[in-house]
Amino acid sequence: MFTKILVANRGEIAVRIMRTAREMGISTVTVYSEADSGALHVLNADESVLLGESDPAASYLNMDKIIDAAKKTGAQAIHPGYGFLAENPVFAERIAAAGLVFIGPPGRVMADLGDKTVARRIMQSSGVPVIPGTSTRETDPDRLTAAAEEIGYPVLVKAAAGGGGKGMRVVEKPEELPAAAKLAASEALTAFGDGAIYLEKYLDRPRHVEFQIFGDTYGNVVHLFERECSIQRRHQKIIEETPSPALDEDLRARMGAAAVAAAQAAGYVNAGTVEFLLDQLGEFYFLEVNTRLQVEHPVTEMTTGLDLVRLQLEVAAGSPLPFSQEQISPRGHAIECRIYAEDAECDFMPSPGKILHFRSPEGPGVRFDHGIYSGFEVPVFYDPILGKLVVWAQDRQASCARMVRALQETVVLGIKTPIEFLLDVMASDAFRTGHTNTRFIDDHFTEWQPDPSANQTAMLGFIAGELAGPAAIHNDVDRSGLGSPPSPWQTLGSWDMAR
Amino acid sequence: MEYKLLVGDKECAVEVTPPNADGLRVVTVDGTSSDVAVTAVSANHYHLVVDGRGVNLFVAMDQDGTWVSVEGRARLVQDADKAQRRTSRAPGAGPKEVAPPTPAEVVEIMVEVGQEVTEGQAVVVVSAMKMKMTLTAPYSGTVTAIHAKPGDRVDRGKILVDIEPIREEGTNE
Repeated sequence: MFTKILVANRGEIAVRIMRTAREMGISTVTVYSEADSGALHVLNADESVLLGESDPAASYLNMDKIIDAAKKTGAQAIHPGYGFLAENPVFAERIAAAGLVFIGPPGRVMADLGDKTVARRIMQSSGVPVIPGTSTRETDPDRLTAAAEEIGYPVLVKAAAGGGGKGMRVVEKPEELPAAAKLAASEALTAFGDGAIYLEKYLDRPRHVEFQIFGDTYGNVVHLFERECSIQRRHQKIIEETPSPALDEDLRARMGAAAVAAAQAAGYVNAGTVEFLLDQLGEFYFLEVNTRLQVEHPVTEMTTGLDLVRLQLEVAAGSPLPFSQEQISPRGHAIECRIYAEDAECDFMPSPGKILHFRSPEGPGVRFDHGIYSGFEVPVFYDPILGKLVVWAQDRQASCARMVRALQETVVLGIKTPIEFLLDVMASDAFRTGHTNTRFIDDHFTEWQPDPSANQTAMLGFIAGELAGPAAIHNDVDRSGLGSPPSPWQTLGSWDMAR
Repeated sequence: MEYKLLVGDKECAVEVTPPNADGLRVVTVDGTSSDVAVTAVSANHYHLVVDGRGVNLFVAMDQDGTWVSVEGRARLVQDADKAQRRTSRAPGAGPKEVAPPTPAEVVEIMVEVGQEVTEGQAVVVVSAMKMKMTLTAPYSGTVTAIHAKPGDRVDRGKILVDIEPIREEGTNE
């Protein structure tokens, strides 16, 4: 096993990976940009290396600097987290060429699966159902039109190098196709440096159901059951859960087998996720493989009792998977809510800035993986994720109730977060009945507004602060959690204490 | 004591009595009264008993006002008089200016000084947290000044481009 690893990421995922490393007695090296010099992942690491300016290109996307940092600090392996370079095959190959270990799949596998058209061909040839569509990179408008006729409208124009909804367009009629294809190609070129697009049949209100897969270097592949990730905004997940309310044992077994077949066809090693769309008739189709640890991996950890980061490290170090498919049995129900720095009332617009006060939820079955603290300045340069609130309980209803309770306990002041929005989704009949699909937010929550009944109580908070006097209000800027904030018993001399 | 408070765009008159012998204050919000007892647990944490029911409030102040979290529902509560002065120049409330709604990085300036622009025309692209936002001309006019260049980090509400409105014939504006 490695004695020292470098985590080439930031924020909550870097903190989460280092927790497991520490439990395994592995030293940690983090890298950071100028904007992140006081970030939690830096505070929690054994060693930290400044990469450079805040722009990701100069820091978290800079392969030379990251590999150099690993060599200088004597780290033997690099964990890429998610995002940034996590699914970059060149990064994986360059790490290997430098004599280090990339904690993830081989570069060749990432390259195959990263091109969505190649991935479709691999899946088709191994009998995994794919959404009707084209399996070649296409730019010619006439051939696209012909293909769309064959698939049948509405069709979805997608970027071959795609992800995150970028370069994606729904086309209802033939005459809209040329313009949509052109726009999608230009968006794809900007986002991924590759303007190639392809077509897929557009499915109305499908569910997004994905399977966690794990492979070792000895050809063993297992799946660790599903995650339902249908609740999305701007094609990005915000609520995930397992098990999916839509799967029965038969469907689960068939989809699990397809996920394992997909992983085997691709020669998959380490942690990955096979994403499927599940239509309203119960037919499922391969969507894509994410060749990384997913943001939402904790729900799988909660129900299987496994530590996926530990497994990643063990497999990367050359160990075989320590269990077979039959030995894994999930228990209970887990839900994850993503806490972003964004304004749910204003179309989820980003909301960077200083966190004046933060308090983490606690109690039975609650886990909050985050990268923040009171006084932390959320930078404008990176993804707005602050953390992931995850709960586990014996069944879905209990899990929903526990999530509501945990969200109520979560305090993030100074910037906007969707905590209140998530509370209302969790409490809604639409969610409680489990009828979720990828249009859920559009169908049920576009007109969402904060609950006015909380305003009156909030005013009492203002008045309590006023009565206590300005000297009483110290924002807790304790960065490490180790210091002690000023005692209110000293600062609240004139305060009337209720008995 | 009397307060005029603002939560979002809703203004409320609040009256608070001094505490009685039991430490209870009567707080009246827009005509509805409650008995309230307050304990300061820490500088950011008050425990209130409102009409017999306990609730924990977490608070923090910045230049905009007091942030209060009520069981997961966070509100920015402002002194209405002070807030009005601020919001008259604040961003977001009716885009009369080419200014980002959040701290952002300037990606592209799409106009030049002297150029005529029409209402709704894309003027500046900014980026925050990997999301690009296009700022448009709030009215038709001529660009008279540009206050930023690509790569600049700008605060929320910073005016990036000055536009001199065109006086349309037949109007008194």
